[in-house]
Amino acid sequence: MKKNEPGMAYNTKTLNKVFAVLSVVFLFVVIWMVLDDFIRPWKAVQIQSLEVKKKVLAEKIASMEKGIDGDKLRATKKEIEQAKIALKEKEDIIEKLNEELEEASKKVYVKNMNKGIVSSQKNATQFNYEHALDVYGPKATKTKKYKSKLDLYNNQFIEVSDELKALQSNEKEIIAKIKEAKKALTESEKELDQLVGAKDRLVGALDRTKKDPVWLLRNAPFLDFLDPTIKITQIVSDKVNDDRYFQHVPSVSRCTTCHVFIDQKGYEDQPQPFKTHPKIDTLAIGLNSAHPMKEFGCVSCHQGEGHRVNDFNSVAHIPQNEEQKHEWMKKYHWHEPHKIPKPMYRLQDTEAACIKCHKDEVRIPMAAKANEGRKLIETYGCYGCHKIDGIAGWEKLDKPGPNLQKIKAKVSKNWIKNWIWSPHSFNPKSKMPAFFGQVNNSKPEFMKKNAAEVNAMGEYLYAKSRESKPILKYAGGNKERGKELISKVGCVGCHMVEGLDEQWNLPQNRKGTYLTGTGSKVDPDWLVSWLKKPSHYDATSVMPSFRLTDKDANDMAAYLLSLKNKKFEQLEFQDLNRDVRDELLVEYFSQFETIAAAQKKLATLKDHERTMELGRRSINKYGCGSCHHIDGFKDAVKIGPELTKVGSKPVEQFGFGHQKVEHARHAWIEAHLVEPARWDIGVPKPFKDLNKMPNFYLTETESKKITTYLLGLVDDKVPAQGMHKLTANKKLAEKGKEVVLKYNCQGCHKIDGWGGYIQAAYEDDLNQGPPWLVSEGHRVQSDWLYKFLREVHPIRNYLKVRMPSFNFSNEELNSLVAYFQADAEQGHFEEPIELVEWKPGEKAAAKKLWDELACTSCHTEGFNNETPQAPNLHFAKKRLRKSWIHKWLSNPMAIQEYTVMPDFWEGGKTSALDGVLGNDPKAQMEAITKLILEFSYDRSPVPFKADGQVKNAL
Amino acid sequence: MKAVFNFLSQPQISFTMTIILFIVAIQKMEFFASKKFGWILLFGTLAFFGWGMTDSVFFGTMSWPDNIPIGILIAIVLWSTWFSLHKGVENDKRIAAGEPPLEGTPENREKVWAWPNLVYTELFAIIACTIFLVAWAIIFKAPLEEPANPTWAPNPAKAPWYFLGLQEMLVYFDPWMAGVVLPVLIIVGLVAIPYLDINPKGNGYYTFRERKFAISSFLFGWLVLWIFLIIVGTFLRGPNWTFYGPFEFWDHHKVVAENNINLSEIFWIKLFNTGLPKNIFLREIAGILLSVGYLFGSIPLITKFWGKRYLEGMGKVRYYLMIILMLTMFSLPIKMYLRWLINLKYIIFMPEFELNI
Repeated sequence: MKKNEPGMAYNTKTLNKVFAVLSVVFLFVVIWMVLDDFIRPWKAVQIQSLEVKKKVLAEKIASMEKGIDGDKLRATKKEIEQAKIALKEKEDIIEKLNEELEEASKKVYVKNMNKGIVSSQKNATQFNYEHALDVYGPKATKTKKYKSKLDLYNNQFIEVSDELKALQSNEKEIIAKIKEAKKALTESEKELDQLVGAKDRLVGALDRTKKDPVWLLRNAPFLDFLDPTIKITQIVSDKVNDDRYFQHVPSVSRCTTCHVFIDQKGYEDQPQPFKTHPKIDTLAIGLNSAHPMKEFGCVSCHQGEGHRVNDFNSVAHIPQNEEQKHEWMKKYHWHEPHKIPKPMYRLQDTEAACIKCHKDEVRIPMAAKANEGRKLIETYGCYGCHKIDGIAGWEKLDKPGPNLQKIKAKVSKNWIKNWIWSPHSFNPKSKMPAFFGQVNNSKPEFMKKNAAEVNAMGEYLYAKSRESKPILKYAGGNKERGKELISKVGCVGCHMVEGLDEQWNLPQNRKGTYLTGTGSKVDPDWLVSWLKKPSHYDATSVMPSFRLTDKDANDMAAYLLSLKNKKFEQLEFQDLNRDVRDELLVEYFSQFETIAAAQKKLATLKDHERTMELGRRSINKYGCGSCHHIDGFKDAVKIGPELTKVGSKPVEQFGFGHQKVEHARHAWIEAHLVEPARWDIGVPKPFKDLNKMPNFYLTETESKKITTYLLGLVDDKVPAQGMHKLTANKKLAEKGKEVVLKYNCQGCHKIDGWGGYIQAAYEDDLNQGPPWLVSEGHRVQSDWLYKFLREVHPIRNYLKVRMPSFNFSNEELNSLVAYFQADAEQGHFEEPIELVEWKPGEKAAAKKLWDELACTSCHTEGFNNETPQAPNLHFAKKRLRKSWIHKWLSNPMAIQEYTVMPDFWEGGKTSALDGVLGNDPKAQMEAITKLILEFSYDRSPVPFKADGQVKNAL
Repeated sequence: MKAVFNFLSQPQISFTMTIILFIVAIQKMEFFASKKFGWILLFGTLAFFGWGMTDSVFFGTMSWPDNIPIGILIAIVLWSTWFSLHKGVENDKRIAAGEPPLEGTPENREKVWAWPNLVYTELFAIIACTIFLVAWAIIFKAPLEEPANPTWAPNPAKAPWYFLGLQEMLVYFDPWMAGVVLPVLIIVGLVAIPYLDINPKGNGYYTFRERKFAISSFLFGWLVLWIFLIIVGTFLRGPNWTFYGPFEFWDHHKVVAENNINLSEIFWIKLFNTGLPKNIFLREIAGILLSVGYLFGSIPLITKFWGKRYLEGMGKVRYYLMIILMLTMFSLPIKMYLRWLINLKYIIFMPEFELNI
């Protein structure tokens, strides 16, 4: 071993070597650190975006070049050349002029400076003078001294200003001379600019995408804090907040860092992230869209961690399907986001984001899927069992299921039991969900208990049912006529009916139940009475009266009764197993007591009482009272969990059980809706703890739509400036829409583009269907509308489909009238329909027009005996608004695109009749309007009688 | 195999095995401090971790950025303990043979310059540490999470790694004890060591035999009661602070039966079949007697059977202080065993005074 020097434990050279090695390693580590900090995925994206921009710009330039007129360009260039040659001859003069201009400008500059100096001295002296005047008085020497000084400066100032003006006008003259000399050239150059200017500017933009040394320097490590071109961009929006738990802060969207061209048109065909937003003009991003990017940012609609730009995953991008998921996993190493309360919505769920700000609207514009989800929730009555707060219109809706208070009069006990046991085996389109025979309760021991419960519930409902005497006896009828009536009178606006022609069975119309097997279900007398007058059996029902004659009702009943479900009819529900019943009761009683005490309690009950007790408890257990009116369950609580904030529920709080379902909110809800009992699979639960959410047998599409809607029910605290505020009129309109929703008006009428599902049946001739209500509040007078809705009277006698008589409350009527009036921005009071006063010759002209345009060939009533094809104009005065008649005449198709009313004035621009009233379309329309108002009656038609005798019955 | 390891690592089993191993190691130190065992230890550990890493759960736990320091800690503690003991045993052999310890040989007593021998090498250490930390920081990103949400606590909610031993103690003790009293006593005890330990031997050189008691009791507290608990708290405690084996998936829904009862309940209800007395002191009488008996009553017994030698060597004050500190230290494993054996919650349960032992 080599001996070290004295006093040394190590060899100094070795130490130095170690130091050198360490230093070098340290240097590398520092460089590594800087690079690690410098190299970010988003920078690569931005650099790539330059290439994309180059490509797009080059394409644009190329297409522009094609568009340029070559001949003209050459001619213009030649002109420029010639002008330049011509200019050369004048070179000396221009040279001289330029020199003169330089000299003149110099002088102006100097004079201007002088003027500034004098001006400031003048102003300062003015102040001193005023001050002295105020303090020492006008006679003091000081004051006088300032006064004389001020006069001096004032004179100087005037002098200097004048000299400056002279110099300036001299300068202007010279400039004008130069301009004149160059005129020909300037004009040719202008022309050239018009031809190629836009292209040249694009070329300039293309030039700026170059990565030159300056670009490198600006983006170099350590220097890129100064003025980088590659940088994070962000939008801070106070419309929606980020919840930081102790603090709500305006949301931050840095998405544009990578989605560089999201707000620029022309990148529609680029791959992500370089694509233009697909709804840039209408929905979002664009300046004139509903949600401009600068105001709303990105996360307000898409959610996700908008402030993060670390990498693709940190933002919590969510793939829209398996395919995209795999693609992302390959491309970006995508994984499920961890611990992120608000990951992005899947693309197809984005409309969920609308709900948090648009809570006051029954229908959200441009949110078709969310609206459909909402409609499904209404159709299936989810709101019956689940509390959902804060959504406009749902407090108004009645219980979704039929009233069971008089059920005895309608169906048999055996039918009820079989129905409860399995609704879908009677009615495959049943909206009543199936509670039994599900994956979690199909074990024999559970089935036995379920059967006892169903037995008890049936007995209970029957025993507690009130009496209801039918108002009509079924007397038999013409089945075929009944079928036609059902098709055409308007039943299909709410119901689908078995056996009708396909045209009439509209899958959108599910407000009412699907009518199948009716003959195996209801009492015939009940059915005719119900058809005749629904409110007799159930005053709360939204089912309206169609003012049927007894014959109509019997015929319709005959058809419905001919619909049989033989298999279901033969089912005999098993007898009540008393032992199982008692066992279940003991289980209930022993909840807070010992089993012995429970048994003792049971012993005090008689046989019938026991059945009733189990029936009552079972109805409570399954929440029948949430959807049906049942005596004794008026205040039944909603048995399902509240869904008001389900879109914010942490994923950890969803029970995934042993199901292989992706751990995400949307996945759970979708899976749950399709098969609610699935979470119990593989979990050994006692009978009473089984999942009670019944199976609606939703299709996957339905479940997806509902999921989208539910995902929008979040607990975000949207600041006031972010909420969509409604005007006073729109608020009234929304209130009215709630009533519309309750009675399903939009099932038949297309109301300003909403609904009108029945129209599909009238595709051949929309004129024969229920009229569209376009700006209805402007068309009709509010007073008339109120009276009409209360007591329907004939308008279009040529229609087969009827406006039914609804059982509106006064409040609902007012709300509806206010809706249409407010939505059309109409005032409370009518424009006064004054006595018709004719100008000289106007009436004759009106008559001429009237005859010439052959109004009475369609509006026949009261004029001839032809079949009418349009409303009776004798009732126009009380019904229509005058300004609307004008609007209608000027362009009927603009209001009802399907109308057969001719456009006589071709959009209100040309004259209908040459030579009449000076060919003035307005005057002509006014004349016709006056004529109609003159011969109109001062009353509306006599309302229909309650029991029909309607003219247009088949 | 994995199931065996999962089973063995349950706290009661692994803790018992650790104690047994510790006692055996103290007795058979020649073997445990030998180079041969050093190699066995190195390859054994490497083999275990190498094999373990093939398991996704084990790999996930070990490579979690939060847990990496514990991996490093295991390596460093194992090596430095073995190294110091190895040196100590070597020296013991030399001393037994009548030679001076290695550090006491003339060539090792030679003095050298502070510069460059010390300061220069310290600079190396600083640079090397910086390199290491920077590289670590780059490779394993700081496990920062989203902003704290009071309604959505992480599960498991873990303390910083160096406090996980204390957090593990919370399983067995009231927060007041595990969080305040015991940590204070640990610090007090460590501070007191130079004043209690007046054994001049081992000064400036490694030795084991000459300081067997001091080294053993320190290593028991350090390895068994501190490092072991940190390892358990880091790697083996999952959601809800439930125990998970090293190869066991952290299933949030794992349920374990844990119904703990107080000594007073065992005493009055189980033993005497009566209700709990109203008077709280009477109610807790068994626990109070036991605790006081353990802390003070046992001292004469200990002295009689074991401590005479030390009493004479150290003097009364030092001796009794040491015994009380030692008793406090041993109260931790005792309480742990009581929990495992009879589901004991508290020996003294007086929430009225926040006194739960």
